Amino acid sequence: MSTRLEPGGERPAIRFDRVGQVFTSSDGSRVTALDDVSFTLRRHEFVAVIGPSGCGKSTLLRIIAGLVKPTHGQAEIYGLPVAGPREEVGIVFQQPTLLPWLRVRDNVTFPMKHKHGRVSATEKARAEELLEMVGLRDFAHKRPDELSGGMQQRVGIARALLHDPDILLMDEPFSALDALTRDEMSFELLRIWAERPKTVLFITHSIPEALLLADRILVMSARPGRVREIIDVGLARPRSMQTLSEPRFHDLANQIRAQVFRPEALA
Amino acid sequence: MRRTLLNALDRGAPLIAALLLLLIWEAACRLTKVPAYLLPTPSAIVHSAFQVPLSSWLDHTWATLRVSLQGYALAVLIGIPLAVALANSRLLSRALYPQLVIIQSTPIVAVAPIIVVVLGAGDAPRVVITFLITFFPIVVSTVTGLLATPPAMMELSRSLGAGRLRAVRDIQLPFAVPYIFSALRISVTLAIIGAVVAEFVAAENGLGFFIAFSTSFFKVPQAFAALVVLVSLSLALFQLVALTQRLLFPWSLPKTEQ
Repeated sequence: MSTRLEPGGERPAIRFDRVGQVFTSSDGSRVTALDDVSFTLRRHEFVAVIGPSGCGKSTLLRIIAGLVKPTHGQAEIYGLPVAGPREEVGIVFQQPTLLPWLRVRDNVTFPMKHKHGRVSATEKARAEELLEMVGLRDFAHKRPDELSGGMQQRVGIARALLHDPDILLMDEPFSALDALTRDEMSFELLRIWAERPKTVLFITHSIPEALLLADRILVMSARPGRVREIIDVGLARPRSMQTLSEPRFHDLANQIRAQVFRPEALA
Repeated sequence: MRRTLLNALDRGAPLIAALLLLLIWEAACRLTKVPAYLLPTPSAIVHSAFQVPLSSWLDHTWATLRVSLQGYALAVLIGIPLAVALANSRLLSRALYPQLVIIQSTPIVAVAPIIVVVLGAGDAPRVVITFLITFFPIVVSTVTGLLATPPAMMELSRSLGAGRLRAVRDIQLPFAVPYIFSALRISVTLAIIGAVVAEFVAAENGLGFFIAFSTSFFKVPQAFAALVVLVSLSLALFQLVALTQRLLFPWSLPKTEQ
């Protein structure tokens, strides 16, 4: 299968090079989802992508995941163009997308089972370890429908981390959760990220969530999706509930809000 | 006290209703003096059942069961792989689906004599007739289940770089299990119908043959007794399929039935 690259020197973990995506709908009309997006993520950097719905955020993630081929430009991981799904990437989807017929622990090891037809003892042990890390050790034998939405998404995160990917792609992973669970999951994710540093591309439409999590925020405009601004968050880590009340947090939130709602004509 | 009585009544309701119905049937027949060759009383049916030797019942039942199960097995073995192929190939589904609908739209009862002429005596024509009746619901329901797999699950498979066959085995087929079993339950009763239809056309044993034989001699109570055996057989097979699902795929049942 795909070769796993040693993350080398100064090469950026992820690079979008003038990426454009045009979709042709069934009636023949063409929609530009992404237009001339160029951006780089440094290794172990946490970058959030924010923008109104329909700005092509998810398309951006699907391109780097190797699920969609861009119509223009190219995406690279450690300097190599993305031609298909890659081993060093883990994905957390918007919906937990757990398989209801598998127990929680088998859902976590599913990637290995699915790819290689079997799961080694090491991977089984690792799955238990990951479930412990996301606080679900006692639920390993349950079926997904016995878990709450937040718990299901934790399983989704554990599954994405099974092969210890260097890059984690997250597509609005907490958007289906209630506000309280959402904050809790954000801190959880920060804790995991601090424990095992990874390059994270985090798609969201929540400004506070992006500010709380990311090193940098990519603000996108709607239709066609373009990079409008890149914001250095610069809030001290580790972040906590206090971060939410810092003046800088509010200033940045206002700044991003203004960007998101700025009319296209003035852009 | 009153509650326990009501409770017992509630639990026994189906049985009580059935017994009442039989009583009314018995009484109505006796009062109106309907001749037994038109509508026999339940007691006459039971009586006639015991006049037929047990070995003869077993012979006929086994003949029908054998044909039903062979036709059913054939339908499952051909129907499910065909459904996988149809669900995964647009070309194949465009090419074959109209043919399948034509087969399904053909009244099998009308084709049965032709099949018997072509395939001659023995089990073969009866198995084929049973197969033709059971096959379609299995294919349609399985295709529906396979195609109902959430796109997100298929995307998960794709993001892992696993092949198409693995996606079918690990995601599509497990997802379709509830659909497949609802078809398997319906089809197993259709299999009995198929076998009986085939026996009406040409057979020297089987419960369908026995009913045709009995009625031609105006032994209507005996025909009714055979009907009771057929219904029991059909119910037993239906329950067997349901039990198989419960044992092998408990997660595929609705939450209330788990």
